[in-house]
Amino acid sequence: MKFLGLVLKSASRSKRRTALTMMSVAVAVFLFGALRAILDGFDAVAAASSATRIVTIRSTSMIFSMPVSHTEVIRSTPGVTDVTWANWFGGIYKDPKNFFGQFAVDPESYLRMYPEIQLTPDERKAFLDDRTGCIVGDGIAKKYGFKVGDRMTLQVGIPTYGSRDFDFTIRGVYHAGGAAVDNQSMMFHWKYADERSTPQGQIGWYVSRVDNPDRAVQVAKTIDDKFANSPYETKTDTEQAFSAQFASMLGNLNLLLGSVALAVVITTLFVAGNTMAMSVRERTTEIAVMRTLGFPAITIFLLVVGEGLVVAVVGGTAGALLSRVIVNGEALGLTGGFIPAFGVSNANVAAGLALSALIGMLAALIPASTASRLKIVDALRRVA
Amino acid sequence: MGLITNYNLRSMTVRRGTAAMTAMGIAMVVAVFVMTMAIAQGFRGALVASGSNENAILLRKGATSETVSGVLRSQLPIIEAMPQVARASDGHPLASPELVVIIALPRVTDGAPANVPVRGVGPLAFEIRNTLRFVEGRRFTPGTREINVGRQAVTRFRGVALGNELKFGSASWKIVGIFEADGASFESEVWGDVDLMQPAFQRNGYQSVTLKLVAPSAFDTLQSTIGGDPRLDLKGYPEQDYYEGQSETTGTLMRIFGIFVTTILSIGAVFGAMNTMYAAVAYRTREIGTLRALGFSRVRIVAAFLVESVALALIGGAIGCILALPVHGVSTGALNMTSFTELAFKFRITPALLALGMVFSALMGAVGGLLPALRAARIPVARALREI
Repeated sequence: MKFLGLVLKSASRSKRRTALTMMSVAVAVFLFGALRAILDGFDAVAAASSATRIVTIRSTSMIFSMPVSHTEVIRSTPGVTDVTWANWFGGIYKDPKNFFGQFAVDPESYLRMYPEIQLTPDERKAFLDDRTGCIVGDGIAKKYGFKVGDRMTLQVGIPTYGSRDFDFTIRGVYHAGGAAVDNQSMMFHWKYADERSTPQGQIGWYVSRVDNPDRAVQVAKTIDDKFANSPYETKTDTEQAFSAQFASMLGNLNLLLGSVALAVVITTLFVAGNTMAMSVRERTTEIAVMRTLGFPAITIFLLVVGEGLVVAVVGGTAGALLSRVIVNGEALGLTGGFIPAFGVSNANVAAGLALSALIGMLAALIPASTASRLKIVDALRRVA
Repeated sequence: MGLITNYNLRSMTVRRGTAAMTAMGIAMVVAVFVMTMAIAQGFRGALVASGSNENAILLRKGATSETVSGVLRSQLPIIEAMPQVARASDGHPLASPELVVIIALPRVTDGAPANVPVRGVGPLAFEIRNTLRFVEGRRFTPGTREINVGRQAVTRFRGVALGNELKFGSASWKIVGIFEADGASFESEVWGDVDLMQPAFQRNGYQSVTLKLVAPSAFDTLQSTIGGDPRLDLKGYPEQDYYEGQSETTGTLMRIFGIFVTTILSIGAVFGAMNTMYAAVAYRTREIGTLRALGFSRVRIVAAFLVESVALALIGGAIGCILALPVHGVSTGALNMTSFTELAFKFRITPALLALGMVFSALMGAVGGLLPALRAARIPVARALREI
């Protein structure tokens, strides 16, 4: 600790250089925080999924539907306590670029299944009572300026629903109480869409609640067995497995973002290592004098590593704080629809700080060992 | 210019270590830039390669992709009778009514299901898409439950191989041929007889019609003929434009991601270059003073240091390009957000992309070198000469 003053003094020897290095470390940690935030967004969905909800889709693919008659068969499966269903509507709000999820759902059972969809009792009642009512997430409500009572028209995107536009009245703006539900969706009465759909009585997917999470896999298998060899075979998974698969369809994000993060660290290592080398080279004579005065080699080594550490951690702190302030869904106005909660967590701020410490130490390693192994006689003879 | 530039370039080699580190920092940024852009280019390339300027694709009015389009059975003969449609040697119109559905197949790598497009095609589809070549097996026989698969589908999904059977749409389908298509998106697809796919997937009608034009210039008259026929609520697109449009959403997203990452990364590298150049200026203060005393103008000094910085960055840029090159041609897959299916494609590094990488590195060098170069020019001659 008594050397801290000396470390700080060395670091402030060339203020501009130290500042530039700090800033490049800050940039690296900022980028690291941003990339982690993206990955976390996806992980959060899987982690927040309920262990007692299972999702049944057609075994061929999610885009195929199954008859509404499956409802009673699923409901009567031992272990299933509640069933609801939904369809992907895929309508167009004014312009195809305005993309958000639209689901035709069975309102009462759907709201029961997903307590994460938080509505006031008045909104809830108004939605259930209005056949052409809909509810929207507060995320898209903010983006498109939707308010309770507004009219909203969707053009049909999937030919199944005919060609006439669908008119809705917004009966509620919901708040997403958990990452299993995003705040970027719109839900309305399944019956309203079904009236105009050809063929009628089609369901995209079922969500069931099981009484015991330990039996979820077994119940899922029982459901699939019931429909095996029928024209509408099913595939049932826990909600967790289902969201994980969905995220994996976007490609190998872990690998892509991981390689980018690695490139960031290496780039910063070059920049910071360069600075440390410069700083040590400038002080060759001073270091030789310190060695002559009796400072052991290890102290010199630690002094240089300490300097690298201080510079990097100060930069890293700035970068981590910056990423925490800038990188969050609201500030960026990100409404991609797939990523519900978006932000840099405390754990990632800590990881960013650790990363900067690592960069600082690694960058200082070679210059520090050069400095500690300096031959005093040579160094003193040298004219800087 | 000659002497002073030469002096600066040679000075670079005096502090080899520092110069190398700076160049490597820039090299990493350029490598990341080239690689991320290569993904975006490869993705777009696979879709663009699917379209030919001799073909047109017809979709329902307002449909943005095949998956949400619909063409009635009764509309097909009207289209086939149009004079703009090319004919095969036996007089059959070269038009293929098609149906695209998505099935889930397990990926080879992790067994997780991926969305794979299944395309039901007319008997003349292979004459219309004449870039398709069979690498193994033969075409499916119309009227049977035989299918062909793209080369990429074979390598990416489990159970897809010549002679195997795939189960989908309440039936079993035998793979009798594997085709390639110059890296086009068709290589990720499964093809079979459209007339058997319709009942298998409980579809009544088609989703699109792809036809060969008698000449690329015939497209405009085709479009107006379609527009003038009240029985057709369809719209034609030159096939190339259509597939290019299909790459837009995902391709743009990939580009934005690449640009975001490289911009931020380049800021770090520019700081590094600044450090190096400031050190270079400080180290050579006396030499700069001498040059100024000899009569070299401030502008020449600024230019010379900028050249040095840019040269250093260009070396880094070249190394970065070389570092990125091995990924060229590597296959990968991504979800196309327009069709919601997985598309296999290869990283594509073009000379233009490498040139862009070099320009980018030069830019980093210029930005990083500017302030130190200005500082070099501002040093008073008398003081500079007194420095040791």
